[in-house]
Amino acid sequence: MEERVKQIMGDVLDLDPHSISGDTAMDSVESWDSLTHINLCLSLEQDFQVSFTVPEMEAMLSYEDIVRVLAEKL
Amino acid sequence: MANNEVAPDSSRQAFLSCLEAGDTSGAMRCARSLLGQSPQAGTARLVRRAVERMSSEYLALAPLRVALLSSFSIEFVHDFLVALGLVEGLRIELYQAGFGQFRQDILNRDSRLYAFHPDVVIVAVEGKDLVPDLYRYDAPDGVDLEKAVAEAGQELSALTQAFRERSPATLLIHNFAPPAWRRLGILDGQLGPSQAELVAILNGTLAKLCRDSRGVHTVDYAALVQRAGSSAWYDDRMALYARAPIAPSVLPQVAKEYVKFLRALAGKTKKCLVLDLDNTLWGGILGEEGPQGIRLGPDYPGSAYVEFQRAVRGLRQRGVVLAIASKNNPADVEEAFAANHHFVLRPQDFSVVRVGWNAKSQSLREIAASLNIALDHIVFVDDNPAECDEVAHALPTVTVVALPAQPEHFVRALLEPGYFDGLSVSAEDLRRSELYQQRDQAEELRAQSESLEDFYQRLEMEVVFAPVDKASLARAAQLTQKTNQFNVTTVRYTEAELLERQADPPWLVTTIQVRDRFGDNGIVGVIMARVVGLEAEIDTLLLSCRVIGRTVETAMLAYICEHASRRGAQRVRGRIMPTSKNAPVQDLYERHGFSQRSDREGSGNDWTLDLSGGGIAYPEWLKIVSEVPSA
Repeated sequence: MEERVKQIMGDVLDLDPHSISGDTAMDSVESWDSLTHINLCLSLEQDFQVSFTVPEMEAMLSYEDIVRVLAEKL
Repeated sequence: MANNEVAPDSSRQAFLSCLEAGDTSGAMRCARSLLGQSPQAGTARLVRRAVERMSSEYLALAPLRVALLSSFSIEFVHDFLVALGLVEGLRIELYQAGFGQFRQDILNRDSRLYAFHPDVVIVAVEGKDLVPDLYRYDAPDGVDLEKAVAEAGQELSALTQAFRERSPATLLIHNFAPPAWRRLGILDGQLGPSQAELVAILNGTLAKLCRDSRGVHTVDYAALVQRAGSSAWYDDRMALYARAPIAPSVLPQVAKEYVKFLRALAGKTKKCLVLDLDNTLWGGILGEEGPQGIRLGPDYPGSAYVEFQRAVRGLRQRGVVLAIASKNNPADVEEAFAANHHFVLRPQDFSVVRVGWNAKSQSLREIAASLNIALDHIVFVDDNPAECDEVAHALPTVTVVALPAQPEHFVRALLEPGYFDGLSVSAEDLRRSELYQQRDQAEELRAQSESLEDFYQRLEMEVVFAPVDKASLARAAQLTQKTNQFNVTTVRYTEAELLERQADPPWLVTTIQVRDRFGDNGIVGVIMARVVGLEAEIDTLLLSCRVIGRTVETAMLAYICEHASRRGAQRVRGRIMPTSKNAPVQDLYERHGFSQRSDREGSGNDWTLDLSGGGIAYPEWLKIVSEVPSA
């Protein structure tokens, strides 16, 4: 699961997937703005066949948080 | 594992290597398989980024500037649009207006919209943003909904008119989907006009507006919503949280619908459908089961093949040229058509038939040569994945439709991509198959003739020059958009742009119609030239491949010289803009005695003819008719 999250984050945020770690976060990545955030959530939903609530999306602000929210869903 | 997982690394790598090697058709093919039937947002983004990183010179893509105006956040469609554009050979540059800014952008002459110089402008407005009262769940006090709908129609009309005064770009306007949940529930429409009826009235007003305007078309958004169902189409969460009401899973459908229009505007509408026979036009193997054994008739699965044949026949009626490429015995095929009375398609519906044991790619090459159609205007349909693969690799520019396993899904596979959708249907389209058959007869005559001059004489050709007018405008614009081979500059014009030039006195905008003893070929050529001072400059000179090689082009140059002299010009200047497809026209000026100019960029593609030598004579075997402008 982690590898796929990194792949999707890499595509959407235009990052090298290998450079992504626990503290890769919206605050520290320039390309991660509110629009790409929505895009990222939607891409994760599509790939993992899950649906996030708005509070979940608002909590998924770093790689670590994304993996945590996803793990609860799967 | 989810069935639509992230594309594997190997196909991403294949795509990126094609791009880096500048292999445009390879990149298009890889992008098509990467994106697949239901493209992933992340994959679309990867494709878009990769394309945008490449310089425009590196890839042979047609540039297209697209502006999106919307009443909601439609940004999420961008990646899909650019990525799916690449699959069609388009390099799409986007302008996104601020959401809800569509009125200001259209009305303000100095808006960023017009500064962007778009080729296409898409207006994506949800019904509830245009006529909010019509979509409310609570009854609006004292509001006359019929009046509100009429006013919305007037606003659309005023915006369209304002846009036309400010830009010659093609305008695409979304129509409107009815609300999913009606205010009066099951009583909707039983007390007065229903919400659904009022939306239909608004859509009718928009449709009429588009019919009556030049270069304005409806995007049938209501049909898109209907096909998916509004429960699947709208994401209420995203509508309220991010003002992005369209569900992510259907966003690619929006992009695909736009691409149908963009493909047509870029002159990439497909012209010819080549079909396999066994398990495509009928069920079973003819060679094994015989004409009565194949499945075609009122009962399943034969009924699915009858439906498919009807869909194919519908395309033929729209002007698509049909051909057959099948591995079979020709005599068996003839017998099947004659013996099985459930056929919808008749042998004469097919302009070329290649039945034999050659590779399909070879048959396709022969079909293309025989019809004088470029391979990238051909769609090939086959049920056999191996045949599809052979064609896809041997002829990467042919569009291949691999049919799904069950025949009841064939119609959708054929019609959904909209490969044959054009922006206008002209009388010539509706007669095209017939015209190609006339052409074949003319070819036969050439084979019997002793010399070319004899052939020309015997064709009894009549060439009619006429200023472009209301009746010919759609066809003239279509010719500039679609003609690739015999086209000196390949400048594409919309109807609105042609009208603009026609109204400008220095311009000559003329259509060419050709008749011969086999029938009327219709309008097959366009001349656009401008006389400035002592010089006439040829902007556009094009001829449909139907009549190439019959000296009509000489008559066109003669006509230009005649008119240039009459308007006081002493020289005629022409330019060749070489493309990968217009080799047949590249020596046009040279073989008509023009001399090369070397004083401009040294490109060697500028040619002039001094009119003091008497210009160019009309070929003696052509009967020339010049029509004067109608009032």
